[in-house]
Amino acid sequence: MFRFQSLDDDCTLEEEDDGLIEEEDEIDQFNDDTFGAGAIDDDWQEEHKRLAELDERDGLGAGSGAGSGVGGGGTGGGDVSSSAGLPSSSARVPLPSSGPPTQDADERSGGSDLAESLARLILDADPAIAGVGAAERPAPSPGSAGPGLSGLLGLDQPRVLPQPPSMPHQHQLPPAAPAPGLPPSSMLSYQQQQHLLRRGAAPLGQMNSHSIWESSMGFGPLSVSPGLVAHMEDSPLMSIIKEVGLPKRPPPGRSDEGLDLSERVPPPRSSSPVIGSPPVRAVPIGTPPKHPMSLNHQIHHPTAVHVRAPVQHRYHAPFPERLSPNTLLNIANSPLCRGPFPPRVGPVLSQLQRAQLLNSQVAGFPRGGPGPPLLAGGGFRPFFGGPPPPHGHRMGPPPPHGPPNHTAPIRHNTTHLHPQHRRLLTQRMQSRGGDRVRTGLDRRSRDPYSNLMSQKEKEWVTKIQMMQLQSTDPYLDDYYYQNYYEKMEKRQERERDSSSRKEHATKLITPQVAKVEHTYRPVQFAGSLGKLTVSSVNNPRKMIDAVVTTRSDDEEKREKQVWNKRRQILYTVEKMYSLLLEVQDFEKRFVQTPEEEREALLEQHKVNTEQLCSSLQEKDWEDRVSEDQCVMIMAVRKGKRLVARLLPFLPAAQAAAVVMVIARNLPALAKKDKQDQVLVCLVEPVSAVVQSLSSSALTDLLQELQGSDGQLAAVLQNKFGVTLLYLILSEGERMQSSDQDCQLMDDNRWTELVFSVTRELLSVPSSSLSPPLFTPPNLLSLFSRYVDRQRLELLQDKLQ
Amino acid sequence: MNYVPGTASLIDDIDKKHLVLLRDGRTLIGYLRSIDQFANLVFHQTVERIHVGKKFGDIPRGIFIVRGENVVLLGEMDVDKPCDTILQQVSIEEILEEQRLQQQAKQETEKVKMQVLKDRGLSIPKADNLDEY
Repeated sequence: MFRFQSLDDDCTLEEEDDGLIEEEDEIDQFNDDTFGAGAIDDDWQEEHKRLAELDERDGLGAGSGAGSGVGGGGTGGGDVSSSAGLPSSSARVPLPSSGPPTQDADERSGGSDLAESLARLILDADPAIAGVGAAERPAPSPGSAGPGLSGLLGLDQPRVLPQPPSMPHQHQLPPAAPAPGLPPSSMLSYQQQQHLLRRGAAPLGQMNSHSIWESSMGFGPLSVSPGLVAHMEDSPLMSIIKEVGLPKRPPPGRSDEGLDLSERVPPPRSSSPVIGSPPVRAVPIGTPPKHPMSLNHQIHHPTAVHVRAPVQHRYHAPFPERLSPNTLLNIANSPLCRGPFPPRVGPVLSQLQRAQLLNSQVAGFPRGGPGPPLLAGGGFRPFFGGPPPPHGHRMGPPPPHGPPNHTAPIRHNTTHLHPQHRRLLTQRMQSRGGDRVRTGLDRRSRDPYSNLMSQKEKEWVTKIQMMQLQSTDPYLDDYYYQNYYEKMEKRQERERDSSSRKEHATKLITPQVAKVEHTYRPVQFAGSLGKLTVSSVNNPRKMIDAVVTTRSDDEEKREKQVWNKRRQILYTVEKMYSLLLEVQDFEKRFVQTPEEEREALLEQHKVNTEQLCSSLQEKDWEDRVSEDQCVMIMAVRKGKRLVARLLPFLPAAQAAAVVMVIARNLPALAKKDKQDQVLVCLVEPVSAVVQSLSSSALTDLLQELQGSDGQLAAVLQNKFGVTLLYLILSEGERMQSSDQDCQLMDDNRWTELVFSVTRELLSVPSSSLSPPLFTPPNLLSLFSRYVDRQRLELLQDKLQ
Repeated sequence: MNYVPGTASLIDDIDKKHLVLLRDGRTLIGYLRSIDQFANLVFHQTVERIHVGKKFGDIPRGIFIVRGENVVLLGEMDVDKPCDTILQQVSIEEILEEQRLQQQAKQETEKVKMQVLKDRGLSIPKADNLDEY
């Protein structure tokens, strides 16, 4: 919309003089504004055309144009200055006018004059005003802003014509600064500079004041050609000023235009004291609760930051419960509460006096010079209670020897104190009750500054402290305190029983926070395709997106079954272990427990052993050992160890049965044991059992061991198996040799079995024969009974 | 009324006369008016008491707000008990003078000590009065 107008270098001030004067006569500003070009409405296309035309024209008659423009400007300035002191306008521009005088007061010649002039300057900048009467306004000279402005001032001076044409020069200067050509621009306010710039564009041949202002929307580089007249109204100017960031001033509305003035009122400020800063809404965590302040607030800050229309509060109770003495004084003396008549109460203490008063209270030493005599005794009376202190004396705290006003000493709960402290406290209380008349509480009630911290605030602090004591597990977080407290309670109970004193120690009930598992579930939308990819501390992005692969049902079932079974076995083993341990520990405990409890222990022991035994038995058949169970247990390493430990505790029959089971299932067990190699731990208990077996049982055992075909071979391959075999054989031999009429030889089974053993031993290659744990010595003698010498020797070799 | 039985809390000390020792060595006496969760203290009618030998002097300070972390210890004072049984109160100027003399004397001894040590080739690094980490 605005085009940069490059001014013709040829335009000089001197040349324009005549032109200006000439133009002046020709232009009738009023007429033009009302009916002429100035009154045309906004139409940018028209504007553009006009600008284009202007451009052409400019080249031709730059000089004359400039001259005419300046002349027009001159007239405009003159008119305005003549109509100086527009009261309405001055009211409308309070802010800017306040600015410049402070800046430039030092450097200007006439201070107050300057203010006036500057105000007028701004008035000039106001297009509305300019429109009213665009008077001639001599532009300042480039060399000095001071004299320039005073030139502007020169209401009475005739137009200083030489000056305006210098503006083009200024205008031509690099656009970087708004008015770089002007002398120390700091001297001028921004508006003034603008104003001058506008002046500068004037020589572009604008005919009316309107166009002068509008054409020189000169924030440096910009200027409007003289043709752009009509569109320049109040709002564009203002909007541009707003862009640049001038302090907002109420838009200059022409009163006759009937604009809504309420728009101009600055937006209602918040209650924050800092001008322009946003209202502080967020209250940080650590702030204590606020007091209800409505009336008080106004009273406390009687000098409001903004004087605005008073808002009608709905008043709370005029005097809230707690007021500090200062508050009271403020209330009493605030201007809001004062009526039109002079107050009856005496003058208020000044801050200094109050401070001194307080100091004298505290320090208690004689202060020279202004001291308590400054008390306004009358004014103080309502606030300090009691008689006002005499002149010149220091006002200490209410003297301890006053009217007898004995109050019973208050018994606080002192159980948490150290006993010595408690004693001292009670002593002090008693002594105080005797010769003193005021307890601390009483004194405090007379202290005008007491209870500055309201109940609410105390509770707030306490709440914070309690929050810090929150714990999900007090025994973990505060073990020592919990123990201490328990001990104390027990002690108190005991004491209470003896003395029947009802004094409960109050316990601090810390807030117990439930242990809630807060699992973070990321936001999910129903029916959406895919999940939101949001990762946070609680929900970090997964590096590997694990996919659940579903195996076929059968496979899974089988796997599960296997696992479940194993778990089941382990579970059983665990249970049996716990029983076993108790049984094993029985003796030790038995010795330790006192007499009266031994029977109970015995009972317990019996139960345990029974349970243990029954655990191995078949469900339906009470007497038989469950083979499956045994095998199952033995399948697990832990189970084998368990059986090894358990065997000595079982009754003989059961133990034998268990060993039978082992023997019968030895190959399978051996295979399962390949990884663990734990079977050998069974050797000892098994040998014990074997040695206690009867001959028939022994035979049976041997038979079991041999069992099916090929079992013996497998047995021989396993260390435990071999050991067991030898054990059995050795036992048999022992039986035979020791006891003459043993029944071992009654049936041929034994012999047959031994024969088969020998056969197997001979046939099996030495390599596959696993070395036993130990070789009983009497084996050879056993074999010697059954085999001939030759084989015996072979066997001997094998056994080695 | 004890707000938090079984614990230590400053709530019960409100509006009582206290003596507080600060980390920089100052001793303040005043009425404790307000506290907060950090044990920041608001003292009223505060007096800074300077002790030199058996003499002490009080400088009135008005209202003090002490940041909790700077408190070494804090204790309630018995208002009734007189404080001039053993100690002798003097004027501010005097006590400040005494303090200055005391500091001076200390510095002198310190200097002499350092010199003596230096002569013997030993050096004890000076412990900083400020608690720096």
